[in-house]
Amino acid sequence: MSDFYQTGIITTLHQLGKPSLERLEADLLRFSKVKPVALVLPALYSEFEGPAMPVILQELTKVKYLNEIVLTLDQASKEQLLRVRELMAPIPTEVRIIHNNGKRITEVYETLARNGLDVGQPGKGRSAWLAYGYVLARRRSAVIALHDCDIVTYNRELLARLCYPVACPTMDYVFCKGYYSRISNKMNGRVTRLLVTPLVRSLQQLVGHHEFLMFLDSFRYPLAGEFCMTSDLARVNRIPWDWGLEVGSLAEVHRNYSPQRVCQVDIAATYEHKHQALSSDDAGKGLMKMVVDICKSIFRTLGSEGVVFSDGLFHSLLVTYLRQAEDTLLKYEADATINGLDFDRHEEAKAVETFTKAIALAAQAFTDNPMGTPLIPNWNRVTSAIPDIFEMLKMAVEEDSK
Amino acid sequence: MEDFFNLILEPLKELFLKFKAFVPNLLAMLVILLVGIIFARIVKLVLVKFLTAIKFDSWSDRMGFTKLMRKGDLWAKPSAILGEIVFWLLIIVTLMTGLNALQIPAVNNLASEFFSYMPRIFSAAIILIVGYLLSGFISRTVLITAANSGFHYAKLLAKAVNTLLMVLILAMVMEQLQIAPSIVLAAFSIIFGGIVIALSIAFGVGGIDAARRMIEKEASAKPDEEPKDEIEHI
Repeated sequence: MSDFYQTGIITTLHQLGKPSLERLEADLLRFSKVKPVALVLPALYSEFEGPAMPVILQELTKVKYLNEIVLTLDQASKEQLLRVRELMAPIPTEVRIIHNNGKRITEVYETLARNGLDVGQPGKGRSAWLAYGYVLARRRSAVIALHDCDIVTYNRELLARLCYPVACPTMDYVFCKGYYSRISNKMNGRVTRLLVTPLVRSLQQLVGHHEFLMFLDSFRYPLAGEFCMTSDLARVNRIPWDWGLEVGSLAEVHRNYSPQRVCQVDIAATYEHKHQALSSDDAGKGLMKMVVDICKSIFRTLGSEGVVFSDGLFHSLLVTYLRQAEDTLLKYEADATINGLDFDRHEEAKAVETFTKAIALAAQAFTDNPMGTPLIPNWNRVTSAIPDIFEMLKMAVEEDSK
Repeated sequence: MEDFFNLILEPLKELFLKFKAFVPNLLAMLVILLVGIIFARIVKLVLVKFLTAIKFDSWSDRMGFTKLMRKGDLWAKPSAILGEIVFWLLIIVTLMTGLNALQIPAVNNLASEFFSYMPRIFSAAIILIVGYLLSGFISRTVLITAANSGFHYAKLLAKAVNTLLMVLILAMVMEQLQIAPSIVLAAFSIIFGGIVIALSIAFGVGGIDAARRMIEKEASAKPDEEPKDEIEHI
């Protein structure tokens, strides 16, 4: 059980007392009459062959309060789409599958491209964005929840707790981020522990008081892929299509809404999913690529809010970060020791070195091109450019479902 | 015996002579087909390039033509589809011209009928395109006007106007193509007349009080009333 301390400028909803899934689900069923909930699942076909997806599907068959499930299926052939449809069939909720590699959805992407709307490369960001568009096009749901499809420790309480703050009509939250501890026999979540938090605190040290840095530092797990939001927010938010997805999305939430309408919720006691290799020598893949994208996203957000990044600031940042990360590392070592967890200090120190290298690369990339990777335009802009895009998207998915 | 051979050879000779006379026509047809296919391909290529250069696809996306295509489950670029349509029209014209070159009376009649029908196809296509654009424009105008006037069923009204206009346009297209003109005319008159009568009855009988209230409200409206903020949102 966690403490009840409120972190930072957003609301933290802890896991307190005896958990009651029945009560949560009964409440959600009532709330869903007023605020219908859609679940978005960005998935690769390979995930259906892994250990996580069968568990997720089994759990979703027991969920009664969902209004619709939109699965964006990537890297799948026509035959694999049919197989996925069969696998999803036992779920009582209405399921719609967006076949990202199908000719109709490909044509939807081409329609966007020829009208000057850059939706980026294939990936979770683009898949999630398209799924939001489909939910908005159908106009059947007021709340959109999203979680990854590689959660090995999935249970439906995670979904219930994630949806609850936004679906509850008496809580005025528009965005809710999940958090959890990433513990197995050791501490996981290196990027959050050893990069994001020390980097944000180093920037606070150098830049001084900054609303966005305070906002980002308030999240216990800013890189969690699980969140829930209102459909209005899905309409106005732009999202990055690269690894800066989570941080970039938070930046957009911060830009568009007051922190009072944002919360984080404890969704799971344990959380396990697939891990990325460190790949410290190659900035184009693995954790290294992820870290460069995250740093670029943070720099660009701060830059857009008036923070001036000079060479001197970047030099100081590297040193400040290194000190912060080393201090953090010591804290986690102590935490691991008291809890009897394995802690490989050398590996952790190597990760810090890699992250320092990545920050330098991101700083260079930001200096060379401050605009960086463009965000995917929000749906308001897309419908303004192509008024019939929602109709086209609906038709593409309906035809693919036949 | 010689007569017997003549009996066999004469028809063969006649057949050969006819074939000899027919061969140039056949060759002419083949040449026309070949040239026609090459010409159609070139026209398609040039047309698609031209349409891409003038951003026809983006224009179609905004004007609603792409949506119309998608409704028919056509999932290609509008310029590519238009190129394909022009290609096949040219192929049909080539085929008809080629068949005409065979100088067979029955085929000649068919070809001349086809060519006399061509203008109708073109005018029907123009009616359909202009009508579709116009109905979209009018229904959007109705939607905006009705919504800004505070009418609760603005979307329904706009949809109804759009549907009625599309029925009218389709009837005009069918009439132009001479497809069962009397049936189309009768069906259109019955449907349109029925709708008008239904609306008259609905308003005149069911909505008599509402009509009275509206007329009274209009009559009692003061001209020198204080100006109000007229800006309302959809």
